[in-house]
Amino acid sequence: MLARDNQSTALQWLGKQLFNREDPAAFFDPLLERVNPMWIQEYTPARVEQILQETSDTKTFVLKPARRWQGFEAGQHVNICIEIDGIRRNRTFSLSSSPILWQTQRLISLTIKRLPGGLVTNWLHDHLDVGAVLGLGEAFGDFTVPDPARPVLFIAGGSGITPVLSQLETMAAQDYRAPVSLLYYVRTSEDVIAGEKLEALAARYPALSLSIIPTHDEASPRYLSDGDLAKVPGLNGRQIFLCGPKGLMDLAGELLQSRGVRERDIHCTFFSAPQANLENQALGGQVQFAQSNIEVGSEGDANLLEIAEAAGLTPRHGCRMGICHQCSCRKTSGTVINRLTGQKSGPGEENVQLCVSVPQGPVSIDV
Amino acid sequence: MKKMTDEQLSELEQDLNAIRDAVVADLGERDARYIRRIIRLHRTLEVGGRAMMPFGFVPPVFIAATAALGVSKIIENMEIGHNVMHGQYDWMNDPSLHSQTYEWDTVCTGESWRRTHNYEHHTYTNIIGKDRDYGYALLRLSDDDKWKPPHSLQFINYVLLSVFFQWGVGLHELESERIRRGEVSLNEKLPFLKDFFRKGGRQAFKDYLFFPLITFPVAPIVLAGNIGANLIRNLWSSTVIFCGHFTQDAETFTEAECENESKGHWYLRQLTGSSNFTGGKWVHLLSGHLSYQIEHHVFPDIPAHRYPEISEQVQAVCRKHGIPYNTGSFARQYGTVLKRIFAFSLPDRVRSKVPALTMGQAT
Repeated sequence: MLARDNQSTALQWLGKQLFNREDPAAFFDPLLERVNPMWIQEYTPARVEQILQETSDTKTFVLKPARRWQGFEAGQHVNICIEIDGIRRNRTFSLSSSPILWQTQRLISLTIKRLPGGLVTNWLHDHLDVGAVLGLGEAFGDFTVPDPARPVLFIAGGSGITPVLSQLETMAAQDYRAPVSLLYYVRTSEDVIAGEKLEALAARYPALSLSIIPTHDEASPRYLSDGDLAKVPGLNGRQIFLCGPKGLMDLAGELLQSRGVRERDIHCTFFSAPQANLENQALGGQVQFAQSNIEVGSEGDANLLEIAEAAGLTPRHGCRMGICHQCSCRKTSGTVINRLTGQKSGPGEENVQLCVSVPQGPVSIDV
Repeated sequence: MKKMTDEQLSELEQDLNAIRDAVVADLGERDARYIRRIIRLHRTLEVGGRAMMPFGFVPPVFIAATAALGVSKIIENMEIGHNVMHGQYDWMNDPSLHSQTYEWDTVCTGESWRRTHNYEHHTYTNIIGKDRDYGYALLRLSDDDKWKPPHSLQFINYVLLSVFFQWGVGLHELESERIRRGEVSLNEKLPFLKDFFRKGGRQAFKDYLFFPLITFPVAPIVLAGNIGANLIRNLWSSTVIFCGHFTQDAETFTEAECENESKGHWYLRQLTGSSNFTGGKWVHLLSGHLSYQIEHHVFPDIPAHRYPEISEQVQAVCRKHGIPYNTGSFARQYGTVLKRIFAFSLPDRVRSKVPALTMGQAT
């Protein structure tokens, strides 16, 4: 194994000398892509094998990644990259299939809902066809099933069900030996994603207790309530997984707290950019983009990526929501506030993600 | 340089910005497809050239292989590397086409090029004393340099610079003339030299050691072909670049007239300090569209294949403001470059006696 590593390091070195790039294998991509897009080296290519219509605005894309893809754990997400009108777009989605499907058939799936006005989700729905190839990153995230088994409660809303689908399927297949409850909130009964699959799982996996709750079937909305939580046996001994829109997550957080659930038993994952409450902060400042020799002022909660783009710069970027780290850059001085966490950075030199960093006072960035 | 009032300059700025904004708003799939097609052409030529080279003992194959490799280097340097490093394709968000990380197939490191070319040359274009690209601190090309006897031999320097162009460009940032004058110490240049030897070594290793040696029995043929390919690229790129700013009517500027200049004045300087040449589609491609040097200097970061499309509009703006637009056939423009190199190799009083040797000057 070591010998092979040595060999590949030597090859890597040689490749750099010959092709002047850090990823020499990708030198041939423009030609390989023409022959077979699954031979692309720069990222892991994945071919669309099947597309399933889940609801009127949700589709499941079944993908076959190239063999070198490293696999994933249930509950993790991936970055995908596609090109829309010449521009590469990276977005993060949860894997909705179980790792078992990957291990047995080398397939994975992403279940994606159209976001109103969303550039990428709408493009995927309208233009991504069977046979197309997209770029796939390695899986990441720690929204994963507890091992050894402990009682679990999932609270999911809308398309926040996707990582939970992967987890439930995996738990059922492994016969996870602890009670599992799912409270799944959907707008109307029409909007249930993977309803049949969930029913089938509940039928063959008795440990799972499933409640699908439409919030807007009646005239007055019916959101997550303390009563819903009261019906979950042994709530305080459970690991709780939250995934859904911000309103649901906030509400669940409050209700759980008032029921005395410990913070460390609550696991969250976001599927849209969360926003820390920055209202009481003085934000904005003079931003210096050192490499480009540009200095601009910013006001309010504009992030560094937006500020740079407004100044005519085009820093490398990806998801624009603080997940993929494509836009990580060196901050040489100044304080920024992380939009996701509300946390303040130190004043010194460090890496920051442009897309979620809001300047507080003068900031200097190596862009 | 043409004198313009602040108002006129601001109008010029708006006129040119309007051209730029229209192109930027239209960037998209067409541009992505174009650069990818060029990259495929480059890869095909390089792979083809290197694969044919060992069979170069057949003379026509040798010629084809050397030409393919030479042209591949030209395309990579001129239409891909130079343009990508200007940020022309940054908007694509493709990491392998990003200006700040791209590394090209020549001795000069991308880092050094971004400093000396993108920043210094494109900011201080043709300002004598600030734009070190003007004559490369090696040639006297305007009156602002006082004539000294060694200048009389500068034509030889020019030929040598062209032959070893990639090494000259690679060493540009060393600022040897400033070291000689004691303005900078060699010590300050050590980090640069380290990078220079690393990249220069890499290029020499590849073309003059690795590829000849893996085809050992025919190593001399491969070595000769690789030298030939580098030579083709050196001569062509140096010629194209000299045609960009050293033609007869390309103007030079003094530091004083550019102090605190407006964007409009910067535009005016780019328009009058650069020169185009005409030619077929292939000439433009192989010159990285530096045949549209004027358009390039006005809009260095819009994709170069767009320059032919906006040339008419830029010319219309020039006509409107009475600004000369310096263009001509390749032969004519290059002829005036050679004339300039020759003219300024002569002492002023000799040159002033020959009316045919008058040149564009700082005003």
